[in-house]
Amino acid sequence: MRGIAWGIRSLRRQRLRTGLSLVGIAVASAMLLDMVMLSGGLDKSFSDLLLSRGFQMRLTPKGTLPFDTEASIANASSVVAALRRDPAVAVAGAMLATSLYGRRSDSLVTLVGYGVQPEAQSLYQLEAGRDLTPGDTAGVLLSEAAARLLRAGIGDSVTLVGRLDPQVVTASVGRRLAVRGTVRWLYDYRGQPSVGTVLPLMQRLARQPSIDRASIILVKARADSAVPALAARLRQELPQLEVNSVADLVAQFRARMLYFRQLAFILGTMSLIVTVLLIGTLLTITVNERLGEIATLRAIGVSRVTIVQQVLAEGTALTVVGAGLGILLGLGTARYLDAILTSFPGLPAAFSFFVPRPNTLSVAALVLLITGCVAGLYPAWLAARAPIAATLRAEAT
Amino acid sequence: MTPPLLARELRKDYPMNGETVHALRGVSLRVDAGDYVAIVGPSGSGKSTLLQLLGGLDTPSSGSVEVLGTPLDTLSDAELTRLRLTRLGFIFQRFHLLPVLTARENVELPMAEAGVARAERRSRARELLAYVGLGHRADHRATQLSGGEMQRVAIARALANRPAVLLADEPTGELDAATGHEILELFRRLNGDGTTLAVVTHDDRLAAEAGRIIHMLDGTIRD
Repeated sequence: MRGIAWGIRSLRRQRLRTGLSLVGIAVASAMLLDMVMLSGGLDKSFSDLLLSRGFQMRLTPKGTLPFDTEASIANASSVVAALRRDPAVAVAGAMLATSLYGRRSDSLVTLVGYGVQPEAQSLYQLEAGRDLTPGDTAGVLLSEAAARLLRAGIGDSVTLVGRLDPQVVTASVGRRLAVRGTVRWLYDYRGQPSVGTVLPLMQRLARQPSIDRASIILVKARADSAVPALAARLRQELPQLEVNSVADLVAQFRARMLYFRQLAFILGTMSLIVTVLLIGTLLTITVNERLGEIATLRAIGVSRVTIVQQVLAEGTALTVVGAGLGILLGLGTARYLDAILTSFPGLPAAFSFFVPRPNTLSVAALVLLITGCVAGLYPAWLAARAPIAATLRAEAT
Repeated sequence: MTPPLLARELRKDYPMNGETVHALRGVSLRVDAGDYVAIVGPSGSGKSTLLQLLGGLDTPSSGSVEVLGTPLDTLSDAELTRLRLTRLGFIFQRFHLLPVLTARENVELPMAEAGVARAERRSRARELLAYVGLGHRADHRATQLSGGEMQRVAIARALANRPAVLLADEPTGELDAATGHEILELFRRLNGDGTTLAVVTHDDRLAAEAGRIIHMLDGTIRD
């Protein structure tokens, strides 16, 4: 304990040097933390986003992932009805995503349209006003961006225009709808102008070749533990569909994002090496400067253990303070970088690249603590092995 | 009666630039309790090497050293460290106090290492600082003290665990004449109070205070 107390107080001798080292360790720690958050955060964020409304399975047209193509599921209502009769299924709902237009004065603005089954929707969070009811074919929900674009608020009327017919270049379907509420669409990118209606209305606006089509069907199982078995059974029963549990999707996502994790691993390792070199160099310089003092301490009977404790304590104290600053810096830079990355078009705004989690912070802190101790080993060995007599002789000359 | 220090036929050889330097060539010495021995001689005569061997800071090439009857060559490194901590006191030319500690904390340091309880070591540190005339400077950092004051703190530190012998290597070497005189007075008082002293010095005044002067030349005692 004495060695530890001396070690920590010794850091005050060269305040500028200690300060600069702390800055270096803080930067390296921040980088490590960000890389750890990045490597696990993508998966976590993706998984959280998919599970945000509790639906553990996605059914899509064969060979596609959700929103990968414009392919759609035929006879969606009968598939949903069959699923709702399944005792292992708690909730099932279909959704159609399409592009359409909204009328603003005498012009049309492009919108993203979602057809939902309000009793089983997993796409949005109501923010103001009221939700659609299953039979509400006169109502519409708007995202904040869509409300701005259409200059409409709750209670106002808006006109949605379905896909333009490429042959005649005329809008074939148009509906005047009352704005029921504003919502936050969970999978929208930042500023995406999205509108939602009940599924049958959106199917008509989308002018699908067959009216009963959906982009995706979402299924909530009665128990999380039943998901793998239910997914396997649905794959057999619905061979025309791709059945993915959230775990399956996360696994596919992980495979796609492998390079991100590799990059994070390489940069994280480099930051650890920088930390080890910084602390090791600083302590080695410090020990070499203080060899005379260390030899004197050994001469008056201070044990090697105390000397080793002192040097390791200096390394650990540097690491703890530097890593503490680094965690604050890392969280700040992660937030900043996250804001930049999630503003890229096509990425859901609710998605995060850097997800701070208690266990992530704990792992980073533990790794840094071990790093600090490891970095102090060589200087500690140097200090403990300093030959007393030779060092005192060298000091005296 | 077992002498605090007993050296027999000490030899110490160093390899240097491919050759062997004979720092000590068969030195025998006995220091009895209450003695005040000054070891003098020109640079390179082996006096500091002798002091280091007597204090267990280095091992002889041949010969033996006993401290209070314990042969040092029978002790492990940890045992030797413990013996230096509890039975010997060291004073060096460069004081090497820990600059981040106060004078009192520097004096407490060997007692803390020896496991003395906090209250007891605090009280003894204050007594020792008062003894060396620095009671009023107890809470000053080492860096706030003058050279003479630092050496007096180093002497208090050396006395902390009530050593059987005080070994000093050029204790006035870094001090001016006036402060050197203060240390000389302090050593006289220490010996008068029963402390056994072995002092390596170039300082004639300090040597003149000793009860016995050992002259060294070319690694041997000439008296």
